[in-house]
Amino acid sequence: MCGISAVFAYHPDAPPVDRDEVEAITQRMYPRGPDAGGTWFSDDGRAGLGSRRLAIIDLSPDGIQPMTDVSGQLVIVFNGEIYNHRDLRKRLERNGARFRSHSDTEVLLEMYKHDGPAMVDLLRGMYAFTILDKRDGRLFVARDPYGIKPLYIADDGRTVRIASQVKGLLAGGRVSRAPDPAGVAGFFVTGSVPEPFTTYAAIRAVEAGSCFFVDANGPSAARCHYSIAEIYQRAHSQEAVATLVEPATLLGEFVHESLAYHLVSDVPVGAFLSAGIDSTTLVALMAEARREAPRTITLSFEEFRGREQDEAPLAARFAAEIGAPHTTRIVTREEFLADMPRFFDQMDQPTIDGTNTWFVSKAAAEQKLKVAISGLGGDELFGSYPSFRELPRIVRLARVPFATRLLRNPKAKSIARYGRSLAGAYLVKRGLFMPEELPLVLGEEAAREGLERLNIVERIRSVLDVDPGTDFGRIAALESALYMRNQLLRDTDWASMAHSLEVRTPLVDAFLLRQIAPLLVVGGSKSKDHFAASARPPLPDYLRNRRKTGFSVPLKEWLNLPPDGTTTRMRSWARHVFERVGS
Amino acid sequence: MKILLLCTDAYGGHGGIALFNRELVSALAELPECEQIVVVPRVIVHEREPIPDNVQFVFAAARGRVSWVRALLRVLRETKFDLVICGHVNLLPLARLARQQPLLITHGIEAWKPLRDPLSNRLIHGVRGVVSVSALTRDRLLSWSHFAGQTFVLPNAVRAEKYGIRPKNPALVERYMLAGKRVLLTLGRIVAAERYKGFDEVLEVLPQLDDDVVYVVAGRGSDVDRLAQKARDLGVADRTIFTGFIEEREKADLYNLADVYVMPSRGEGFGFVFLEAMACGVPVIGSCHDGGREALRGGELGTLVDPSNLAAIRVAIIDALAQKERHVPEGLSFFAFERFSERVHEIVRRVTA
Repeated sequence: MCGISAVFAYHPDAPPVDRDEVEAITQRMYPRGPDAGGTWFSDDGRAGLGSRRLAIIDLSPDGIQPMTDVSGQLVIVFNGEIYNHRDLRKRLERNGARFRSHSDTEVLLEMYKHDGPAMVDLLRGMYAFTILDKRDGRLFVARDPYGIKPLYIADDGRTVRIASQVKGLLAGGRVSRAPDPAGVAGFFVTGSVPEPFTTYAAIRAVEAGSCFFVDANGPSAARCHYSIAEIYQRAHSQEAVATLVEPATLLGEFVHESLAYHLVSDVPVGAFLSAGIDSTTLVALMAEARREAPRTITLSFEEFRGREQDEAPLAARFAAEIGAPHTTRIVTREEFLADMPRFFDQMDQPTIDGTNTWFVSKAAAEQKLKVAISGLGGDELFGSYPSFRELPRIVRLARVPFATRLLRNPKAKSIARYGRSLAGAYLVKRGLFMPEELPLVLGEEAAREGLERLNIVERIRSVLDVDPGTDFGRIAALESALYMRNQLLRDTDWASMAHSLEVRTPLVDAFLLRQIAPLLVVGGSKSKDHFAASARPPLPDYLRNRRKTGFSVPLKEWLNLPPDGTTTRMRSWARHVFERVGS
Repeated sequence: MKILLLCTDAYGGHGGIALFNRELVSALAELPECEQIVVVPRVIVHEREPIPDNVQFVFAAARGRVSWVRALLRVLRETKFDLVICGHVNLLPLARLARQQPLLITHGIEAWKPLRDPLSNRLIHGVRGVVSVSALTRDRLLSWSHFAGQTFVLPNAVRAEKYGIRPKNPALVERYMLAGKRVLLTLGRIVAAERYKGFDEVLEVLPQLDDDVVYVVAGRGSDVDRLAQKARDLGVADRTIFTGFIEEREKADLYNLADVYVMPSRGEGFGFVFLEAMACGVPVIGSCHDGGREALRGGELGTLVDPSNLAAIRVAIIDALAQKERHVPEGLSFFAFERFSERVHEIVRRVTA
């Protein structure tokens, strides 16, 4: 887990790489990797790579980056973890490779030599990396299937600049800060900046699950190496496979395997614990796998005490029952206000979420943890968001003439306008501001320009270019490729890295999805129950029968946010955030 | 000691379960304290293999369900058995006629989820012990049945001396037009209910392999037409050979045609075919998500792949094709008949102690 940077002057007319720029980009990402750092520059002045390192696998200096292979022809900077690196190493060794370290970074170098760009198909993990291949003077760039690890690129037509953070690229001083109205509009419409946009016109997110080269002609067309929608489509024809074994047993086996891979670490691994099914089942499985419960962390807010939102008492009870060393971390308004300057400084792109991850990561770091397991992704995987029930209903409703006029729902007009397709219904369900409201927020011209390029309904629809074949698969693909990628995963990344904590998400795993997709398609919304039943011993009834509540933070109370037509006042919070992070 | 084995098939049977039962009987026949073994089979479809001297094989039982029950009752009237072995979960209700707790044998998918017959689900709790061909099958059975009694893992046996590394049989090379080709092989029943075998996955990988690599799909079944159409759709019809039914006597030669035996299945209780292929010195690729994992000793004897990961299957095939020399892995001796027999004797002693 690290922060990485690369500047590559690919065009003959491009000026040589400025060492200070690479240093500045890398240094801006210091909290992502406080254990070590370094830069590497090619002799011809055409390439510079930088890294900040959070040491988790192979703590020795052998794992330091930028890392060069034995031949000196390949140089890599890598952010993330390759969970199956031991399997991959064995295979490479059978094929004659020799290693100098135990790090997964070196495995990537050897894989590139052995398999070329096809290497990404074999990687189980979260990753963003770039390899400079001096043999043919090109750069290979890859990002993991779900987009767990961020990676941004700025291409001015002569030089590409790549970094783990938007703010890192800006810190180098050579990337334009001109805003991108589409990214800004995207933030107000969805609550986070939808990829590939950023709030800066010159910076784009590298597409999740893609890889490409940069050579003398610039970046090549990206190859998509993983598609969530395609996995669900394939699963649709594999239902027979799902019925061979009891669903809870099979789910348990596969999640167990994913968890075992996610526990590969040379430092202790803790866990975030709420009273929800996902985190409690994972913690139970961790305890089973390691025969020792992990250290667990739960957040609590004074404002929620005694209310349904307060998950701390049930989480503490469960932790006590399985013998987990547990911390309930109480967050107060005073602490929140004191943290705000740093909170906004570390927020890489504007978002309405991230506060909870900020504090739970801070609490984990206080407990000297460098790695924590999170149940993030369980709702997308097991279909337990209300959207799985509600989107098909919205579509049906919107198709009945005049039916929406009878609704008292404040979104009735939007349902009539957008709800006739699943993509439109998704916008209505997840949207913060509806597109027609943006002129009031951004002004007429900025809203028009932003919305035109954002083309939000089409952008949502494009996730389903490959049709998953079932509503479950379609909604799971939308939630995973949009809400989870643009908001949950991105916020988890910056808010945890700000505290030098690596968060691992065993339920957001490309291999796991491929394995259990047939089971999910057959099981539908019962999948969460099957997952809960997979723990040994099974989860207690007070957790399994608990009504699902979203995790919330008392922002309204802490900031006295003005009314905005929503109960959570997230629209007011969005304006508050944008004033501080938007430009 | 007198032992009664109730089974679906054994001598004159076809397939993995029949073979397992024959080996089981052979092992029991070698047990010094065993004076008599009576085998009551449900079906006999082929010419019978030689039967050990102290084994009574009740041919009359294989004429139908009524005959089977009648034969069983007659055997039970004539002999008092020290141990009853129920060779298949489907026979559990009828095994009650023996009026003693049977030792149950589970082979694979039939035990991976609750049985269709609720009575059998209850009867499992009354057995003397459960023998499974793999730890995976045992664990999956335990996960739904919560059986609390003794369990044993008894992997299949292979008599490696019946196989061995041989040159490719010219007649078969000509029959299947394999001259100058590198051969991938999968052997199994080709029916819709067994699509978990991984034929589809290997076909999907085939277009990404060199043109001289062909896929021999050995076996028969009602799903052949669908697979043939799929091969046409993928543009590899000319590189896919469907052999139809393979006679037992041709099997060793068939394996020896292969450069790689690949079966990325999700439904093998164990995967005896892997042992046969390895006994012919053929590199094998199995699945890490079914009993094949144990047949390959966790990857020690061959390559394990995730059957849902086509890229991993492709890479494993490429790596296996690159192997210069064929050899029978030393670790295959773990599955030698002698070891199997020792395990059987240990199980019998423990459940009759």
